Amino acid sequence: MRAIAAVARSTFRETIREKLLFLVAAYGLVLMVSTWILSPLSVGAARDKIVVDVGLAGISLFGVLTAIMIGGALVHKEIDKKAVYLVLTRPVSRGEYLVGKFAGIMGAIGSLVGLMAVLLVLIMLAGRVEITRVLFAAVALSLVEIAVIAAVVVFFSTFTTPILTSFFTIGVFIAGSLGSDLRAFAQKFGGAAMQRTMDAMYFALPNLTVFNLRSEAVHGLRLTAFEFFAAVLYGTVYAGAMLYFAWLVLRRREFA
Amino acid sequence: MEALRVDDVRKSFRGDLSLRRREVLRGVSLWAEAGEILGFLGPNGAGKTTTIKIILGLLRPDSGSATIFGAPAGGRDAARRIGYLPETPYFHPHLSLREFLEFCGVLSGLSGAGLRGRIGETIDLVGLGPHAGRRLRGFSKGMLQRAGLAQAILHDPDLLVLDEPFSGLDPLGRKTVRDILVDLKGRGRTIFFSSHILPDMEALCDRTAIIREGTVTRSVTLDEIYRLGEGRVEVTARGCAPGTAHDLADYVESAQCSGGETFLLVRRQEFVRTVIQHLYRSGAEVLEVTNHHPSLEEVFLDEFAIRPSPGGTDPAKSRAVGAGAEGRAS
Ligand SMILES: Nc1ncnc2c1ncn2[C@@H]1O[C@H](COP(=O)(O)OP(=O)(O)OP(=O)(O)O)[C@@H](O)[C@H]1O
Ligand SMILES: [Mg+2]
Repeated sequence: MRAIAAVARSTFRETIREKLLFLVAAYGLVLMVSTWILSPLSVGAARDKIVVDVGLAGISLFGVLTAIMIGGALVHKEIDKKAVYLVLTRPVSRGEYLVGKFAGIMGAIGSLVGLMAVLLVLIMLAGRVEITRVLFAAVALSLVEIAVIAAVVVFFSTFTTPILTSFFTIGVFIAGSLGSDLRAFAQKFGGAAMQRTMDAMYFALPNLTVFNLRSEAVHGLRLTAFEFFAAVLYGTVYAGAMLYFAWLVLRRREFA
Repeated sequence: MEALRVDDVRKSFRGDLSLRRREVLRGVSLWAEAGEILGFLGPNGAGKTTTIKIILGLLRPDSGSATIFGAPAGGRDAARRIGYLPETPYFHPHLSLREFLEFCGVLSGLSGAGLRGRIGETIDLVGLGPHAGRRLRGFSKGMLQRAGLAQAILHDPDLLVLDEPFSGLDPLGRKTVRDILVDLKGRGRTIFFSSHILPDMEALCDRTAIIREGTVTRSVTLDEIYRLGEGRVEVTARGCAPGTAHDLADYVESAQCSGGETFLLVRRQEFVRTVIQHLYRSGAEVLEVTNHHPSLEEVFLDEFAIRPSPGGTDPAKSRAVGAGAEGRAS
């Protein structure tokens, strides 16, 4: 446990000292510019919806991008540059190392998401946009989505280069965000082989649509506690499975 | 008690292009008694770093085994008792030296005031006192090497495994490291290190294992090195007549002239009298007669440079080469 915390703390520090804060600043800027540009075109309720929609989409996108860019480089660099020797030659298991790394990355991205959420709320307060509970649920599920993506990143980075890791993970992100659309498309228009491939992909890839509460937040729809916690559970199990696969790879891996 | 044992370890790597595997370690065996300093000597590419990585569990042997105080390499029990300095130390550059050692210490199970005390002590010991708060990013090569040694000894391990601890150090740094190692040995710790700096190795090691093309061909103690030269005597003379070396060819192994002085390496004790008499008769003046002790460097060069191995390695043959060196000396 202490080993996990130590690895997590060091990873967190390293991530924070990469220029993460610039991302937060970029987010705030994009958000403000887009709402200022769009707001004269629309009034009242329509403008409010744009702020919420763009704000939540930005949090999710920036968080996922950070996970892909920073997470992949972090793990791979450490293996490539042999910093990992210092950890793995101490009484620390490879599983502890993985969990520590993941926790550190999530800690850093969690802070980033937190800061962006605070910024969004401030902008909404300034614009007198109504703040609902669904908004916070949406941010929380964004964080779960980011955790799933970060776990996928950690998995790939135990055996491929950062570039391939980013490539694969972006693929997973896009396919996962389409959710059942691809499968439905295949069922309508594809042959049997196509349908089976799409079925397999549908079950293997994470269904990221369950983490997307943007339309609920924008239109002020209701969200049941069951839906929310089912999504959290789904994400946790998926991320856990990814870390487990990462451990299977790392456990056997040699460090030449 | 044995601190370290490597038993007939084999390891091959896949080639870059071909699928054929290249055998890098061909049955490495060595051991270190607790409290001993064991040197690991061999030319570039002989397999030292590969052997060390197997001892640390970073690589798995194809066959054979490595144990640390009886525990299998790479396991938690082994890791608890080892301190390791990698060949090319790379540490988290975003951490300050103190933060870095804190990180290492916690991973090794230290904590609280004990850890803080150890960190201060260790930083002073390796001579990095003034740089404790600086980020590792800005460290020079020699400073990184010292930081690397600091993390290796931080938790006061029973077995230190150091891959070229002297590389990149200035003379003062080399002395610092030598002093640290001698002190650790004095406190009963075991040290296994590879190096190309022979005087350091000679000064420190109880024993040196020599590796060549993936097999340990010899393991020599300092005593044995001295004994290699037993019976050989070096005579220094001035004003030798030309042709002296030729006349004494039967009695003298080598003769070198420099600055009017001639150094004659006499083959055997009983020839000394004959050689000196010949020198006097030819009008030369004998300045000094000493016992000749070969250095580790001579043993090393003898093993590798003078008779390069023809392609493949035949352990039996290499051993025969070693025996030949001893045979000639006697
Ligand atoms: N990961 C690897 N893949 C392929 N070959 C390797 C690998 N690591 C080492 N080798 C080969 O194994 C041999 C031994 O390498 P090793 O690093 O153990 O040598 P060394 O004795 O430490 O040399 P040096 O004195 O230069 O440090 C070399 O021929 C090297 O090319
Ligand atoms: Mg080496």
